[in-house]
Amino acid sequence: MPRLLRTNGELAPPPELLDADQWTPESGLGVKLPVDAEVDERWLAAPLLGIDFPAFNDGRGLSLAVLLRTRHGYAGELIAVGAVHEELLHYMRRCGFNGFVLNKTEAPPAATLHPHSDYYQASAVEPRPAHRRMEVRPSTSSRTSPTPSS
Amino acid sequence: MPFPSGLALHSMYRYDSFDQQFVEERVAHFRAQTQRYLAGELSDDAFLQLRLRNGLYIQRLAPMLRVAVPYGTLSSRQLRMLAHVSRHYDRGYAHLSTRQNMQFNWPQLAEVPDILADLATVQMHAIQTSGNCIRNVTTDEFAGVAADEAVDPRPYCELIRQWSTSHPEFDWLPRKFKIALSGAAADRAAVNVHDIGITARRQGGEVVFDILAGGGLGRTPAIGALIREALPARHLLTYIEAIMRVYNRYGRRDNKHRARIKILVRAMTAEGFKARVDEEWGHLRGSPSTLSEEAIERMVAHFKPPPHPERKGAAETLAAQRLQVPAFNRWVRRNVSPHKQAGYAVAVLSTKETGTPPGDVSDRQMEAVADWADAYGFGEVRISHQQNFVLPDVGQDQLYALWRAACTERLGAANRGLATDIICCPGGDYCSLANAKSIPVAEALQRQLEDYDYLHDLGELDLNISGCMNACGHHHVGHIGILGVDKKGREFYQVSIGGHSGADASIGQIMGPSFSRAEVPGVISGILDVYLAYRIEDESFLHCFRRIGMAPFKERAYAKAA
Repeated sequence: MPRLLRTNGELAPPPELLDADQWTPESGLGVKLPVDAEVDERWLAAPLLGIDFPAFNDGRGLSLAVLLRTRHGYAGELIAVGAVHEELLHYMRRCGFNGFVLNKTEAPPAATLHPHSDYYQASAVEPRPAHRRMEVRPSTSSRTSPTPSS
Repeated sequence: MPFPSGLALHSMYRYDSFDQQFVEERVAHFRAQTQRYLAGELSDDAFLQLRLRNGLYIQRLAPMLRVAVPYGTLSSRQLRMLAHVSRHYDRGYAHLSTRQNMQFNWPQLAEVPDILADLATVQMHAIQTSGNCIRNVTTDEFAGVAADEAVDPRPYCELIRQWSTSHPEFDWLPRKFKIALSGAAADRAAVNVHDIGITARRQGGEVVFDILAGGGLGRTPAIGALIREALPARHLLTYIEAIMRVYNRYGRRDNKHRARIKILVRAMTAEGFKARVDEEWGHLRGSPSTLSEEAIERMVAHFKPPPHPERKGAAETLAAQRLQVPAFNRWVRRNVSPHKQAGYAVAVLSTKETGTPPGDVSDRQMEAVADWADAYGFGEVRISHQQNFVLPDVGQDQLYALWRAACTERLGAANRGLATDIICCPGGDYCSLANAKSIPVAEALQRQLEDYDYLHDLGELDLNISGCMNACGHHHVGHIGILGVDKKGREFYQVSIGGHSGADASIGQIMGPSFSRAEVPGVISGILDVYLAYRIEDESFLHCFRRIGMAPFKERAYAKAA
């Protein structure tokens, strides 16, 4: 049974999506976008957008999500559908997805979405890169590390 | 193990708490993924993609772990750790790769997370050393010390390294992606044949970059197209981001042989690609990823040269030693390059002694090099894309002692840039992608070319060998290139001439039908005979070929092979 996992940890039934060429604003449903779509401004009014991954390692859907969030200001729900692998959710989260349809009934461990406590570069969820946020970072260069022979 | 107190002075990037935490979290993340795989919870296909992003291949005989050596720079402490890894987890040796990294051929899969944890204690990792993502950024192995340098490329390499590490949008590209950056008059980083090649220079006191895109080796070699001139330093990351987004969205994914950025640049034309990148950059320019002056200065400070104590009389001492010991003099002439600082020199320690696979180094050699880096420098070592070690800060009066020690460890060959300084991938002996073996070919050629006077008479000659089309041995840009091909299950070798990876880069021309392994040494000596017969005075092999063309070489090779 596929389930929608939200970035806040909630599980829900997968929402219904209409293919982009069949969707109208009046449908009240979300739009299912192929990963190679060029953004159509009409979609921005939809309550829900789903990006359909043809393969789990197809990174085009990541760029499309970033463009929807950062360039077109889409603020609604953005979910990943299709070939979604849970080990890639952390990339998707940082590209602006806030839900993923997975073939699982249980939520994966929280670390799946947050393997790192922070990242170097800006993203759709953190507009400032680390070097801007931490203009002065403490150095640990004097820290002693174990040596191979110790 | 005690380390000289002067070590803290070395001019390298030093992790802060953020960087340290990041690599430690990466180890934990990969350990969990490995455990899930070994427990049967992750499929082979999914784990393949995940382990590749941590440098782990499953090879012909065992896994191969590629450790990142960012832009080829190591501290002596890091090199000692690599020696430890080779001894404790492997078979006591490792391989210097043509992208300045270090590879281990025999680790156990279950132990790889422990290796990564050991590496993290010395600020090292294997992140993005394979897979379809942005790989380790490479540069000039003489960066920071070369006499012909305008801009030290390392701070910019480190900024790119940090920006590209676990990039959320660009870790699942159509294909692997390689960036090289150079800041000297001579291009020692092969920027012309990278997905993105960057040349740093100064314009009115400011650092600016010329950006090439779409170069590369592999199946369809190409020289990069200049798509942006004089990009101010602060825009470096946003401009690369624009290139990456255009490539990630429009690069082909239907055929892995057509998926590199060079194919996209060719399909769009260089002008069309540039226009697309410029349009994208129009949106990104000035965004928070723009580098502040402070961010650049902070990074540059990491690479500030340590104070070089004055070496009074060093040049005179060196001159006297060169007169006394002819073999030392030959080594200095071949393997030592000028340094920015008077009294100092840059020394190349060749791994190309006949009988050792090019680039292979033992644990003992690694420890010896680390000791010399401390004794004859500031604790810093480089790996060159020619698969040699470089000691960047040797006092001119210390070169003799270094050479004596290097000779006892089989690292003292006076052959840098000569025909026996062969660039060679691991080939069919190790690599599961290879069509043919490359190491035995290199060894046969080294034996044939060993005669000292002959070798030096030939002069500068890049002889590059790849075991397959992936071109890890850079055969396309060898003055003579050898490519292993498979013909109905048998190993054959295609020979090309006229490649070059410097500023006036060129792709070698294929001579004709391929040869059996037994024929290769004869074919190569025929090529060299033609060169010696046709050259005018001190003309190099490359210039001679560019002047006389393929015909005489071809005639000789096929007359002989027939």
